[in-house]
Amino acid sequence: MIIQPKETILEVHSVSKSFSNIQAVKNISFSLEQGDIFAFLGPNGAGKTTTLRILLDIIKADNGQIYWKLKNNLQTLPEAGQIGYLPEERGLYPDIPILRSLVYLASIRGMNPIEAKTAAMEWLEKLELADRAKDKLQSLSKGNQQKIQFIASILHKPLFAILDEPFAGLDPVNQEKFIDYIKEINKQGTTILLSAHQMSLVEKIANKVFLINTGKEIYYGSLSGIYENLGNQHIIHLSFKAAVSEVDFQHISEIENISRIDDFQLQLTFKHGINLNKALGDIATIGDIANITSHQPDLHDIFLQLVKKHLP
Amino acid sequence: MNYFHQVIIVTFWEYKRFFKPKNEVLGVVVMLLASMIFYFGTRYAMSDQDEKPALYVFQNLDSQLIDKLMPGFNVELISPEDESSVLDEIVLKRKGQLLLVNDQGFVLHAYKKNKDVIRGLRTVLDNYDRSMAMDSLGLSKANLDYLLKPSSIVESYVYSGNSRNRVLLAIFFASLMLLAVFLSFAYQFTAITGEKQLRITEQIVSAIKPQVWMDGKIFGITLTGLSSMAIYSLIGIVGGTLYFQFTDMPVSGILDYLYLPSILLYLPFALTGILIWNAILAAVASAITDPNNSGKSSLMMMPVLFVLASFLVIRNPDSSMAIFLSWFPLTSATSMPMRWAITEVGVWQLIGSFVLLATTFYLLRKLAAKIFRVSILISGKEPTWAEIIRLSKET
Repeated sequence: MIIQPKETILEVHSVSKSFSNIQAVKNISFSLEQGDIFAFLGPNGAGKTTTLRILLDIIKADNGQIYWKLKNNLQTLPEAGQIGYLPEERGLYPDIPILRSLVYLASIRGMNPIEAKTAAMEWLEKLELADRAKDKLQSLSKGNQQKIQFIASILHKPLFAILDEPFAGLDPVNQEKFIDYIKEINKQGTTILLSAHQMSLVEKIANKVFLINTGKEIYYGSLSGIYENLGNQHIIHLSFKAAVSEVDFQHISEIENISRIDDFQLQLTFKHGINLNKALGDIATIGDIANITSHQPDLHDIFLQLVKKHLP
Repeated sequence: MNYFHQVIIVTFWEYKRFFKPKNEVLGVVVMLLASMIFYFGTRYAMSDQDEKPALYVFQNLDSQLIDKLMPGFNVELISPEDESSVLDEIVLKRKGQLLLVNDQGFVLHAYKKNKDVIRGLRTVLDNYDRSMAMDSLGLSKANLDYLLKPSSIVESYVYSGNSRNRVLLAIFFASLMLLAVFLSFAYQFTAITGEKQLRITEQIVSAIKPQVWMDGKIFGITLTGLSSMAIYSLIGIVGGTLYFQFTDMPVSGILDYLYLPSILLYLPFALTGILIWNAILAAVASAITDPNNSGKSSLMMMPVLFVLASFLVIRNPDSSMAIFLSWFPLTSATSMPMRWAITEVGVWQLIGSFVLLATTFYLLRKLAAKIFRVSILISGKEPTWAEIIRLSKET
């Protein structure tokens, strides 16, 4: 069987953007293929939202090129109906019935209002809000308003959806539900670019990641690749019976990173391929260990490591 | 989806958002109720003034003067000995007045000045003095009328289009335009700064071009203003008809005011004028982040000044100032129809002024979209005009 290579639908080349004297995005490049769930990850103020706004032509990049290929031809800008956008700064009409707002937003993206109404009711049903369709948005809880905002961004069945912080403001149950919704629209043919900082949620759905910090790329590749390259270290969580200091551990050459939790606890990340027996022996000489747990690094740990590594 | 389709969607969305027929009807009902309360309240409050004021005079006053005073005052004749007791009573009751005559003329004593009493009394006393003077000169009433008769002028004009009715219609249209601009002021604020504050704009401009968004807003809110104008015009016509009915004038008199050529001229001028002001209001609102703390909010009052300035045309429609106002796009929407109603204006002037007006609207809506586009690039604080100009050049 011949596996057809997936079509590249978005290419970003060397994009930069500055505001006054602050460089928000520094020469970043990436691409997305059809069907991807691409996670754009970084801490607050890393440049995620700026990049997304550049992709949508809400703001212009200072340098670089962006090409879309959502149909067969290359475009510098996608058509309104091809894109869905969930902005980080949420906002809909608070004093207008929910269904009316949803139909309007789908209409300006080219969807027939009758189809939009049917699709909106289906989504409201799915998100257990069908009985609130005629209510004003302001009468809903913050979490439910977030659901309406999500529906507004994907109601018109876009080929490409940009979801900026889709999990913000949601409780853990709804966060899990949103993961399912994102998977569902992805299965239906929507390529997803999501920006978030909840790494544990992102690693459940994304197939590609782009880690950004202070506007710079610190990792770009497949999610599996990041674990292969950076996730094979050991991380141990130690609790001591008496207070210990980070300085006590600095002579142990096998340790790559020390994170202090409190006076009695710390987390140690070991370098790849070291002699673990020797390192643990050295640690035991520092103090009486009360408890020890070990795990492979998750995306959160890898991200923290990379940020530290790229600190100026 | 093409530009026009998107603009139509945004236009009707904005129109439905702001034009609420139920609220309009409610507004009219409240206005009528308030007018009725004011009318009947004023009549009630003034009812005690229907009573004739009390006026004390000495019994020996000229009977001719007493006769002249009777229709306007409750004249009470007193003897000169009662003068001080009457004055005490006036102070005690704080009403009534005593009229005396001495060598210098008439003397009036009252608790406090009452302009209506003075006015009424002066008319009677002037009349009485004149009669006395006529008698002393041996003149008859016919002689006096002959002396005071105004000179006779037969008026004949080549241009007689400046009838009072046409001027009133022009003022009516200017007032309606002012009303529409006032309404637009409120709606544009809610529509643009409100959306910016509610953070809706990002969602919208990811779907449509800022020009589409801006045009939809300008057209939608203009349509809202026009709907209100139509309602108030209808009320004006109904009110005018009722006025004619109650004043026993023929109801068909209202038709004298509805001069079709004027209406056909005023409509396109007023419509384009409202569009221009909506574009300017939209541009200013786009540059405002928080209307409560913005120095730019005062700019939103600008249209009122320009519309009011056009009323200067009425004083002298052929002056250089009036000609300038009828061509300047920010005043021509009201000034040119007013000049046309009052004086002779060539067709080329009407066409030229309208073309300039329409071109200005076309450019202003582009400017409004540009300002909106650059103002959303500046986050966190309100952009200054200098920043907007700089960014407009860069993008």
